[in-house]
Amino acid sequence: MIVSLLLSALPLVAPQGDEPTGQAIVYRLDYIETLAGDALENASIVIRDGVIERIGQAVIVPDNARVIDLRGSGSFAMPPFVLGQSSNLLPGDSRSSGGNGRYIAAGVYRADDEVLSDLREAGVLLMGLVPPGAGIPGRTSVLRSDASDLMEDALVRDLHLTMTIDMSKSSKDLLRKAFESAEQAIEKEEKARADWEKARKEWEEKQKAKAEEAKKKEGESKSDKSAGEPSKDEGKEPPKEFTAPRVDPNIQPLIDLIRKERVVQIWVGSPGEWLHWLDVVGDREFAWEVVLDHGSSTNLHEVADAIAGTGVRVFLPARIPVLPSTQLRTNLAAELVAAGVEKLVLLPSSTRSMNAVESWRVGLGDLVREGLDRQTALRAVSVEPATSMGQEELIAPLEAGGPATFVVLEGDPLNPLARVSHLVAAGEVIYDRAKEDKEN
Amino acid sequence: MSIRFRSLMLALLFGVFATPAWALAPVQEPVPAEEPPPEGEEDVEEVVEGEVVDQGAVQGEEVIEGPVEDPNSPYLAVVGGDVYTVTRGVILDGTVLCKDGRILKVGQSVSIPDGARTVNAEGMRIYPGLVAVDSRGIIPGRGTDSVDSFDPFALYVDLALAGGLTTVQSRGTIGKLTRGTLNGHLLGTTSWVEISYSSSSPSGRRSTRARLETAREYLRYLRAFELDKELEKKDLVEPESKGIPMDFVGLLKGERMARFRGNTASDLIAICELLEEFPMRSVIVGGREAWTMAPRIGRAGASMVLTPRAKDWADSELNRPSGWSIENARILWDSGVEFAILPGQSGISLGGLAGRDLLTLPMEVAFAIRGGLSQDAALRSITLDAARILGVADRIGSIEVGKDADLIIADGDLFDYRTFVQWAVVNGRVAYDKQKASYFAHIRPRDEEGPSPVEVLLEDITDGEDVVEGPVEIDAPEVDPPSGGSGGR
Repeated sequence: MIVSLLLSALPLVAPQGDEPTGQAIVYRLDYIETLAGDALENASIVIRDGVIERIGQAVIVPDNARVIDLRGSGSFAMPPFVLGQSSNLLPGDSRSSGGNGRYIAAGVYRADDEVLSDLREAGVLLMGLVPPGAGIPGRTSVLRSDASDLMEDALVRDLHLTMTIDMSKSSKDLLRKAFESAEQAIEKEEKARADWEKARKEWEEKQKAKAEEAKKKEGESKSDKSAGEPSKDEGKEPPKEFTAPRVDPNIQPLIDLIRKERVVQIWVGSPGEWLHWLDVVGDREFAWEVVLDHGSSTNLHEVADAIAGTGVRVFLPARIPVLPSTQLRTNLAAELVAAGVEKLVLLPSSTRSMNAVESWRVGLGDLVREGLDRQTALRAVSVEPATSMGQEELIAPLEAGGPATFVVLEGDPLNPLARVSHLVAAGEVIYDRAKEDKEN
Repeated sequence: MSIRFRSLMLALLFGVFATPAWALAPVQEPVPAEEPPPEGEEDVEEVVEGEVVDQGAVQGEEVIEGPVEDPNSPYLAVVGGDVYTVTRGVILDGTVLCKDGRILKVGQSVSIPDGARTVNAEGMRIYPGLVAVDSRGIIPGRGTDSVDSFDPFALYVDLALAGGLTTVQSRGTIGKLTRGTLNGHLLGTTSWVEISYSSSSPSGRRSTRARLETAREYLRYLRAFELDKELEKKDLVEPESKGIPMDFVGLLKGERMARFRGNTASDLIAICELLEEFPMRSVIVGGREAWTMAPRIGRAGASMVLTPRAKDWADSELNRPSGWSIENARILWDSGVEFAILPGQSGISLGGLAGRDLLTLPMEVAFAIRGGLSQDAALRSITLDAARILGVADRIGSIEVGKDADLIIADGDLFDYRTFVQWAVVNGRVAYDKQKASYFAHIRPRDEEGPSPVEVLLEDITDGEDVVEGPVEIDAPEVDPPSGGSGGR
């Protein structure tokens, strides 16, 4: 009795210093795929203030904690799904191809309640928005599926630069020229800066010399009236701060790229296009990721080793393609992993249709059944794309101290029949199937 | 792991650490302590192997295969096949050693450097890669920029290689079928001047002649001007080049090549007359009735592109031989006319250059062989002579030291319908392997030991006169592989 009294008194004493303030919520689940180690069976997640306080099979449930017991129904938690790339999934303006580096995806698309609610229902917390078009369509943005207004609510407005390449001289020339223009702009700015520094230095020295001369003259004859007046040949004072020359806004993102302040995502559809991209890159060094945008047949396995050798993050559709003009199935994702690709992102089979998002896990299951490592596959639809978006603080493997962001399914995520029951973002429930069902 | 560390571990295991002198023991007697007997045996074997390699390097008497193939080795050795060199007959059971994309050595006793990539061509025939003087749809074409549109993984590139082609010309671009890489794709360009000189267009003929005359006139003035300049004469006026057909000037200077199309004897005679009046490098595409006037074409010095199966029936009204003849190629060859052979379709299609059907380029040539053309001449028509017409015979078309390492390895006579190309090598890289490409791998797969079934079925078709008896080596006198030494006997 005394003990229970003491225990109940504890929370009253607790709010001191760094002690947690909010109420603890406990999710009791049949399985947890933490993606930080082995899957946990019959385990719990304790969250408080948007952070996972404890996770494991034997966790102490804090007092006053709200317990959500989902055990017994095959419930399965893992970091939420992240749609690494999507184009035209949301309604938006159409854009022509060409060098359009100035466009930002968030400014092209409009948030659509229906699509966003479908995404939440599919357990997707984040989606990468790719501007439409070919060549250099623009820059990507990141949207949370609980956003309501794209312009206001975009999680990241201006992220990576998107480029596409195909096997034509015009396509290669567009990219080559863009890089060359960026390099010329950088050169121009460096020259302008050097000129300004020189002019500024000269002007300052001149002023100094003049001041000394004036001092001298002042000493010699105080009566000389012209001494204090500025002479006319001294010229205009160069500005105190350097202003860079104006740059074509379509070229600016490429300048960022060369200065290693930005990442480019290159869309490649075939091994030939991959080689042509390497040809365009040449000796240039910058950060890039590759989106292998292949259809139902591909021979991209031909360059699997080469792709792995570059160490870049690889995006590809979660589907089993066939070799061109054959019925031979090829698990490209597994081949890439076998070749040494470490950063793998799996996308729905189409980046532009909600149907594809809904059948995403079917393709994922195919890949795992035909040889792709299960955890690699699950990472590739959650943690890995989130990392590409720079959202490690929102979505990470489920560990104590990490963000309380996860999805709960009614069964194994690779079973397409298992529906999403909860989507939790930093402790906040943004989708609850039971609640939604009640409302509808 | 260092010996010292391993010994230390063993010492720990055996409890030697108990003795006071444990720290010194491993250094003094490392071998008995650490090596179990089987490992010792392996060591002995290694020494023997090393000796053999040393002997080879010094004496160069044996063909020694490198113990391990290094995929990045600059060397590629095609070993044990009959080498159809085109220029120097056949070398039985020979080896072609390539380095950095070029042919380094050809012969019966060639030492193979350590680590060289090898292709075992035992019982097979090694030919130079085939050359198509015209093609559609395999490479993009259109000048030196075409490499930017080349798909080195395209299905058609694979099928063309499977048909034995390694170089094709397409719309002015001479490109190699460098499967899997863009490097070394572009071999050159053809700046052919297309001349229409058909009997159906008398005005076209008149204008062609007029332009040639203008060009010749211009050249006369130009040469006079250049001579005067050399003699340092004063007040010279350079001939005005405005309005001059410079492509025709290029023809008369021998810098460019004229391409005519002509099939009937009357058209061919007219072209010959033009060539006699205005000598220039030229190729005539077609030539169906060329057999009726072969010596004339030989004298005019024109090369030809023939399609042995292209048929046109004789005209019974004419009081001269007419129509097509299966002997066309043979008759032209006998008259000293250089020709390349192309099928009726120059794309990847039924009866085209290549494809899944039987009628690939060598099969078109087989029709000429049926009409009496020798095997050697037939091979030349799709290798060296085709390369000569394209102006790239210094690089490709025969298996010679210093030429590009473009080879095909066939499991039988190239002109037999049962023969498959097993490997194609382009620039010293294996660009096609029948067992790895999906099209023909399942048809008579290559895993049998010994000679291929095709080889067994076939008689040796070589005439004997070109077969080199006994060991022969065509060697680069100045270049030796660094580790293999000279293979001369």
